Amino acid sequence: MSILLRNIIRFAFLLLIQVFVLNKILIHQLVSPYLYMLFILALPFNLPRPVVMLLGFLMGISLDMFSNTMGIHAAACVFIAYLRPFIINVLSPQGGFETTQKTPSMTSMGVSQFLIYAAVLVFLHHVVFFILEVFGFGNPLYLMLKILLSTAASLILIVLYELLFFTKK
Amino acid sequence: MRNLIIFFRRYFNFFLFLLLEVICIVLVFQNNNLQRSAYLNSANDISGKLYDKYNNVQYYFHLKATNDSLVAENTRLHNAVRTSFDSVVTGTGLKIDTIRQYSDDTLHRVIGTQVRRYKYFEAKVINNSVNKPINYLTIHRGSLQGIRPNMGVISSSGVVGVVRSVSDNYAVVLSMLSKSNSVSISARLGQGKEMGSVHWDGDNATYAQLKDIPKSAKVHKGDTVVTSGFSALFPENIPIGYVDTVMMSDKAGTSYNIRLRLATNFYNVQYVYVIENLLKDEQQRLEDSTYKLIK
Repeated sequence: MSILLRNIIRFAFLLLIQVFVLNKILIHQLVSPYLYMLFILALPFNLPRPVVMLLGFLMGISLDMFSNTMGIHAAACVFIAYLRPFIINVLSPQGGFETTQKTPSMTSMGVSQFLIYAAVLVFLHHVVFFILEVFGFGNPLYLMLKILLSTAASLILIVLYELLFFTKK
Repeated sequence: MRNLIIFFRRYFNFFLFLLLEVICIVLVFQNNNLQRSAYLNSANDISGKLYDKYNNVQYYFHLKATNDSLVAENTRLHNAVRTSFDSVVTGTGLKIDTIRQYSDDTLHRVIGTQVRRYKYFEAKVINNSVNKPINYLTIHRGSLQGIRPNMGVISSSGVVGVVRSVSDNYAVVLSMLSKSNSVSISARLGQGKEMGSVHWDGDNATYAQLKDIPKSAKVHKGDTVVTSGFSALFPENIPIGYVDTVMMSDKAGTSYNIRLRLATNFYNVQYVYVIENLLKDEQQRLEDSTYKLIK
């Protein structure tokens, strides 16, 4: 399967999972998991940066259309799409990742490297998203708790997804 | 000039990032302003149809709850209907012509019977959320079926929200569960008739706050709170919720701050009724012209 086709399928799959399953989940008004940004995390290493940002915008705006939060998801997605290369640069070994490993995943980056990569970007996404959604710092403790717990829930989902689809070599 | 171009080329990524973020923020601000009747997206045909398909599956699992609420509503309506009452007056006299009474033609002006004021449409809920700061319901009924923005929406048990935007076959309803100052429902205590307004504090989908009830009112746990009928969106006496806890609003204690258990269960609302107020425009025009006169 070509990289392009795989990414198109992943786009649709993650969007549908997010809209129809994960958006219905809410635990104690605090934990609302998001998995759709895995699409941005798993784009190929060598994709030009403007393309990553545009794809992130597209993904965010499509989810916004379903959840009536015009622009909020898109802003968070563009933010992490912009920061993605920095994180990859920091985490990559000398000389970059092997060119045979085209997309970031547990097998190509190593489990701990990938977890740091995912955790940082997911956390940043949640910070931007929840600040824009709640729109106010009237209750900072609640906001922080919500960001941290949702990040944890999202990370668990991302690890599950990786184990399901990426571990085979 | 050349330096400028080089500068732009070097920081192209950053400028693209800024551009996209600005677009996003503009979108956020445009669409989060509740006063604007911006076009809402789940009213559009693609997402509406997808939600419809999804709901067909999900609906099956809620059949039992839906049936129960419909039976309960039928019982309530049976109890209200004219034939359930025994007329004590046995003498011959004028009988009220119910057909004429409930018609909406113009003849009522000639004969002098009652004017129809509210018209109800039933609609199926195909998407609903309770976990956002501002919640929306998508219903499968749109402008082709006579839905227009700013119509009231109720369920079989109580108030649900207000129609916000409409496409051909779908409409998006701004749920009562919206943490915003612009969504407040004019309410009245069922017993003492004191007026107040209901807000949702964004916390729990089963509770809302009733404010501005004067201290002189007698409030007990379990009292019904109903719509006041002032807003032209909802008829009078539609239940909003039931009194749960009563607190003083501040130290001075000039008014009560009441926590309501909402009458509508937003977790399993499946069918709603959209209310058209046939006399709304007339009321609006009169009120507007009066305000202008005073200004």
